[in-house]
Amino acid sequence: MLAVAIVLAGMVWSRLAYWQVAQHGMLTTAAQAQFREFVELPATRGAIFDRNLTQLVVNTTVYSAFVSPDQITAAERDRVASGLASVLGVDKTAVLTTLQSNAKFAYIQRRFPKAKADQLRVLKLPGVGLQDETQRSYLPGVGQGTTLAANMLGFVDWNGNGNYGLEQKYQKLLAGTPGYISSYRDLANREIVLGTHTHQDPVNGSDLVLSVDANIQYAAEQLLADGVKKDNAESGSVLIMDPATGGIVAWADYPSYSANDFNHTDAAAFKDNVLSYVYEPGSVMKVVTLSGAINAGAIAPDTVINDPGVITVGGYRIYDWDRRNHGNIDYTRVLESSYNVGAIKAMQAEGHDAFYKNLQAFGLTQPSGIDVAGESFIPPPSASAMGDSQYATTSFGQGIDVNMVQMLSAINVVANGGRYAPPHVVERVGTQVNPVLLQPQRQVITPQTAAKMTTMMQQVVQHGSGWTSRVPGFQLDQCGKTGTSQIPVNGQYTGDVWTSFVGFLPAQHPRFTMLVVVRKPHYPGADHDWTLNDGYLTAEPIWQKIAQTMVVDWHITPDPH
Amino acid sequence: MTSTRILARRRLGATGAAPHVTAPPRRRRRTRGFIQVAGTVAAERLRLNLFGHAYLGVGAVLIGLLFYLAIAAQITSASYDITRLQDQQRQLIAEQDQLRYQEVTLHAPAQVQQQAAHSGMERVVPSSYVAGQEVAVDLTAPVGASPTDTTPLWMRAVAAIVNTVGGTRDVMAATKK
Repeated sequence: MLAVAIVLAGMVWSRLAYWQVAQHGMLTTAAQAQFREFVELPATRGAIFDRNLTQLVVNTTVYSAFVSPDQITAAERDRVASGLASVLGVDKTAVLTTLQSNAKFAYIQRRFPKAKADQLRVLKLPGVGLQDETQRSYLPGVGQGTTLAANMLGFVDWNGNGNYGLEQKYQKLLAGTPGYISSYRDLANREIVLGTHTHQDPVNGSDLVLSVDANIQYAAEQLLADGVKKDNAESGSVLIMDPATGGIVAWADYPSYSANDFNHTDAAAFKDNVLSYVYEPGSVMKVVTLSGAINAGAIAPDTVINDPGVITVGGYRIYDWDRRNHGNIDYTRVLESSYNVGAIKAMQAEGHDAFYKNLQAFGLTQPSGIDVAGESFIPPPSASAMGDSQYATTSFGQGIDVNMVQMLSAINVVANGGRYAPPHVVERVGTQVNPVLLQPQRQVITPQTAAKMTTMMQQVVQHGSGWTSRVPGFQLDQCGKTGTSQIPVNGQYTGDVWTSFVGFLPAQHPRFTMLVVVRKPHYPGADHDWTLNDGYLTAEPIWQKIAQTMVVDWHITPDPH
Repeated sequence: MTSTRILARRRLGATGAAPHVTAPPRRRRRTRGFIQVAGTVAAERLRLNLFGHAYLGVGAVLIGLLFYLAIAAQITSASYDITRLQDQQRQLIAEQDQLRYQEVTLHAPAQVQQQAAHSGMERVVPSSYVAGQEVAVDLTAPVGASPTDTTPLWMRAVAAIVNTVGGTRDVMAATKK
């Protein structure tokens, strides 16, 4: 009998011990959840400014209307439904159905502006509540349904998370740290005023100051849109850089989207073609190839070679774009007229190893590391894994994949006196200068080599394929290079092309470096003559118009002669 | 802790230098609180019995309770006011945000261009750039002799008289003698 009593007592005791000791934490939490209220105090998301402190993003308050059907009597339902329908423009029948459901909570409409919320407040509808939420509002863009620099900035979703672009990259800094109020509530969920309160203030997000110029950004978007439409192209992008710092001045994509209306936008539109799209740069690469060869002392701008228009490398016959014999020409002419054979010979004169190191030095074998989310990067094979033919095609920009930021940063080495300026968009976070700006820039080629290449690129504009980029008054002071490369599909090159033009001006004291890429242009008449799709007719005029706008807006004057 | 004064007293006591004086027993002073004193005085004057004391106690507690309720009501009212003001503040912030967005949008490049187009203005792209000419003045050339004064003598004489009469010597000062 005693044993039974001990067993029973033991069972009770162990059960009590289980709840009081083992489950203590869980029960405490459950109890606190019933009487303790935890209210989050949202932090204000940081604003984004351009280089002239023009605000590009503003936090605005929007409202969501909800109803508590169980608090609305049958007699009042019709008045409530009519009021909601008249102010919010929702279907009255649908609202009535919701009200009759006797649910405790239902949204009627989400995220409408303050004006509508004020109208609703005046009506004093029973059982109707307003919930205020913060929303990011972006500046209007070029066309209807676009916002300024949407692809670079990204957007913030309804949960406050940055998606794409800067909003995603700087999410932590922009969002800040929310605070909270912890207080006790009674059974009727009323706050116990004399109870214990814990209060932690939120830490607001930091503001970002960009290197972007809103006016140039707008002009670039506008002129790009016009150009892409004129070229009957699939898409196009413009990237403009400050040569000395590597700061991005404009980052334009066409087509683009409205970040204010992201929830009604196809997710495919969010992709940023500047950073997330890799392409074969074509002849723009010749600037890198020839710069490296000059820097290594393998060639000079006036070194004469024989260019029969075709060369056999690794068992492949590689032609110049015009398939003609050009006889004896120097390297300045090679760049002017963009001859593939000349680029291959420069690479061969330099040697494979030196050429590969050159690619590394110009930043083409690694991601650019720019402070925008979503960089796509395809690493080239290792130096030993690349065959002769791939070295040959890489020397004129085929068989190597880059994104626009990588390519522009590489060309900018020439504009920046041979130094690599790390590309970046954010100049300041709050009051802190971006550390990238404080680091010494890497010397890739000597200033002398950069000066020689600058002269060669000037000749491209004056005598070569860059003639359509000439900005009146700067004909002698601007540098450029076209690029056209065929688009491969399943390992086979197709008739579609990427065309591009890169350049900077004024030549001796560059104020900007700009790269324009047009994808799959179908220039009028190009069905009969594919060369009409070339960079000089598609990308180059866009470059010229944007450059002209920059000359006017930034008061740029030619170099003194 | 033993102070030097205590040590000195002990020493004197031990040597018998001073006559042993027995200190009178210290009487502990009883302090009574204000309420206790007031209650006693009131009870003595009013000649209250036990029930009187009880009533007085209950009355005091009641007054305290009422005071507490008044304070609580005041705090509750203040908390309602705070909630109302917070709501008002939220609305004002919302309005401010909206105004800021309107202001920012007003200066946005898209809006500026639209307004310019409405006004009949258009962006003019310069058709050509004329490079500046070299400065015609040779600033490095040596300064030569001052040019001779070609003013007729009679005019200088008239000017001298007029200036003397008029009281100004500007012309005279500018004229090389």
